[in-house]
Amino acid sequence: MASPSSFQSQIYRSLPEIERADAIVDRLTKAIGLGLLKVGERLPPEAALSEMFGVGGATLREALGDLRERGIVETRRGRSGGTFVVNQPRAQTDAIRDWFLSTSISEIRDIGDEHSAIAATTVRLACERAEAHDFERLQDLARALILADTPEVRAPADSRFHIELAIAAQSPRLTNAEIRLQEETVQQLWTPLTVAFDPEQATAEHLELVRAVAQDQPEKAQNLVLEHIRRNIFHLIDKKLTLGYAQSNQDGQ
Amino acid sequence: MKPTAEVVHAASALSSWMSGVCTEVNKLSSDVSSLLERNLAGKSRADRAALKGLDEYPREFLTKNSYAAGAGTFFAVETIEQGAPALDWWARKEYGTIGRLDLDMTPGSSRYYDYEKLPFFSTAASTGEQSLWGPYVDFLGFEEYILTFAAPLSVHGHFTGVAACDIRIKDLEPLIMPTLRAIPGDAALVNASNRVILGNSGLYLVGERIKSGSPNQHQLALDVPHLGLSLIYTV
Repeated sequence: MASPSSFQSQIYRSLPEIERADAIVDRLTKAIGLGLLKVGERLPPEAALSEMFGVGGATLREALGDLRERGIVETRRGRSGGTFVVNQPRAQTDAIRDWFLSTSISEIRDIGDEHSAIAATTVRLACERAEAHDFERLQDLARALILADTPEVRAPADSRFHIELAIAAQSPRLTNAEIRLQEETVQQLWTPLTVAFDPEQATAEHLELVRAVAQDQPEKAQNLVLEHIRRNIFHLIDKKLTLGYAQSNQDGQ
Repeated sequence: MKPTAEVVHAASALSSWMSGVCTEVNKLSSDVSSLLERNLAGKSRADRAALKGLDEYPREFLTKNSYAAGAGTFFAVETIEQGAPALDWWARKEYGTIGRLDLDMTPGSSRYYDYEKLPFFSTAASTGEQSLWGPYVDFLGFEEYILTFAAPLSVHGHFTGVAACDIRIKDLEPLIMPTLRAIPGDAALVNASNRVILGNSGLYLVGERIKSGSPNQHQLALDVPHLGLSLIYTV
């Protein structure tokens, strides 16, 4: 993962070079991976999709064709037809391994720093702004993680909970920031590569967080979410050390 | 308590690696000094003509030392004629090319890189010794998370600036992690202000300040003059 060489390059960074069809495939795959689009859900009609993505019909059909080939969507004919999400995208182990090899510990720590900043304010606002039906929804989403039985479904269940917290905080910008941060790391967190991450403890922490929000205890909620992120980042660093530097222990060099 | 053999071995490996960098930066400094002494021919301030050929040394430095992301010279402003460049900095750019880094040297500008106030320059100026600064976010300069090794530069015995090199924290990690990982317990390389440069586990994270506290935490100074480096380890 190439890091920009300066803060200024953030402003002038090149627009995505990948073809627009690839960009659509990437966008939809990530949304399904995060559980924002569910298996069984019908995508909007092709004409509406072309318009929303701002692409021509041919480009859109190319993207949907690609997703069909990967078995992620299926197009059915007839009156109740359309394009449906039929499968979770497979977690791409090679891509995840590459991420661990190319991302340094200082960068992983930095992701944690940003996530802590976003999550601390999100959860404080959620304490102020959430109402009873939000608590129930958050509780259900917290429990969904322990009910998920494979890494492929744990990742979206985990990220869905955190995104919902930002939604309960009533902030579209914090929600977008949370989605971006989840996209960046949640697959890496739950991948069974090296050490598996424990869903029971993560669920317990999510539930405790919901309780603190429901009881309007911003101080406690903030501490809980910061500790939660710290643990996630430690896990990512452990995986990085195991994947990137496993040899060094044995060589003693 | 005596440090274990693994800790001693790691400390000596790190000392020798860091000393190697110092040797290279000192050589850069003395090469630049010699060039200026030759070119100045008695003048007190360097003009463009006196700086001719200067760029050869940092470029050579970067070609030889693949760990460095940038290298060059920062002059004390009063030693340079008006209109002559006060710095000569070269950085490794994309696709492995080496290019000049242009920094905003206009006082009062919002992107003014006032390097004489930065520790890598001011420490070398005040102590006359080599120094190590970082990890730090080099805003307006190289704009990355880096370490800077600097050596003072003198012309006929007068302080004239510093020669320095930057190492990205990201690039340093794979170079020294194997040494730190050879220590069985938690350990970290820390700078003179006890800030972690690299740790071998999640306990010591790069950028954090180590507070003394745990009775199991020990510190062993590295044998590299003036840099203030040490190894923290727990047993």
